[in-house]
Amino acid sequence: MDEDLKTSVKGQILSIKDLPTLPKVLDEVSRLVQDPNANTDEIAKIISRDQVLSAKVLKMVNSPVYGFPGRIGTVQHALVLLGFNVVRGIIISTSVFDMMVKAMEGLWEHSLGCALAANVVARAAGLPDPEEYSVAGLLHDLGKVVAAVQMPELHESVSQAVREQDLRWFEAERAVMGFGHDRINAWLARHWNLPGNIREGMSHHHSPETAQLYPDTAAAVHVGDWIVRIYEYGTGGDDQAALLSRKALDMLGLKLADLDRILDEFAGQLAEVSDLDMA
Amino acid sequence: MQKIPLTLAKPGMKLAKAVTRDNGMVVMGPGMELTESHLDRLRSMEVDRITVEGNPLEGACCGVDTSAAHRLERLDHLFRRLAGDPWQDEVRGFLNEYLRIKAAEQAARAAAEGK
Repeated sequence: MDEDLKTSVKGQILSIKDLPTLPKVLDEVSRLVQDPNANTDEIAKIISRDQVLSAKVLKMVNSPVYGFPGRIGTVQHALVLLGFNVVRGIIISTSVFDMMVKAMEGLWEHSLGCALAANVVARAAGLPDPEEYSVAGLLHDLGKVVAAVQMPELHESVSQAVREQDLRWFEAERAVMGFGHDRINAWLARHWNLPGNIREGMSHHHSPETAQLYPDTAAAVHVGDWIVRIYEYGTGGDDQAALLSRKALDMLGLKLADLDRILDEFAGQLAEVSDLDMA
Repeated sequence: MQKIPLTLAKPGMKLAKAVTRDNGMVVMGPGMELTESHLDRLRSMEVDRITVEGNPLEGACCGVDTSAAHRLERLDHLFRRLAGDPWQDEVRGFLNEYLRIKAAEQAARAAAEGK
């Protein structure tokens, strides 16, 4: 695909009018976070003004997807325990939930499962702040949703290529558009100013070895995506196993045999998240 | 294990996870076999869903079929385009072994509970 076409597609993807609108709260909160004098109390107060949003955030943080023991009762508590990046990622995912459910059947479940799996993988690898990996997992296929909404014809062609040529979704995207949702994810993450680890988890989960700053996040999401596809919980658009990268396991200090306990843990928790919707 | 709506729960099903109130207080512990009076009590507490052992409800209505036997059956289909690559074959071999043992374990447990 030549550069001009790519630029025009990027423009189409990022055209503001149809991009999922993030709640105004998020702008306000993002500003406050930059302010060294602001504290979590103030940030929590702003989020809590939107009761529906706060309820969704609390429902999410209390699910096994974030693997946090004990109950988190208030938004402020969530901010202190999980950090702003995690809460922001949850707010973004709740905002795109409706769109995701409409755009591609099964993608929400796939994303939720990937979030859980990335969390379990991060814990097994002994990485700090495993909640951040959940957020990257939750948002890892957002590019597919945005492509479906902004470029429905291309989306349909991708879907057709999957059906007729038995391709994986990612292969079909590259065959049809010349690039995959990983690229769209990178644009979106920049557009929304997401932190680097979440951005690289989103944009490098198909090629974790090329992640520059946060290879751990990219690798954990990569393995998470692979796991949720083995269990066929939801769908990322096709019904094939992903290519598990040996390097991704190496990067996490894991061996194939370590997947035993990871799969045990994942399967045990999956029933618990399976009815978690954001409607 | 399966998370099911309380409306579909029946006496004899066994809790796989504790039922807790919103404040985290445990109402019934895992392993408890449900009776009609337990179910009444859960209904009166407006519990929506409970997690029970096994996969008593077939189909997609109630979440996922994580049973290893079912996963094992799907392996050929999932890996249909990855055959021949030595590393992918190794990955698949690992899964095959893992799920086979798991399925045997689950079958043994189900048989023991069925007595």
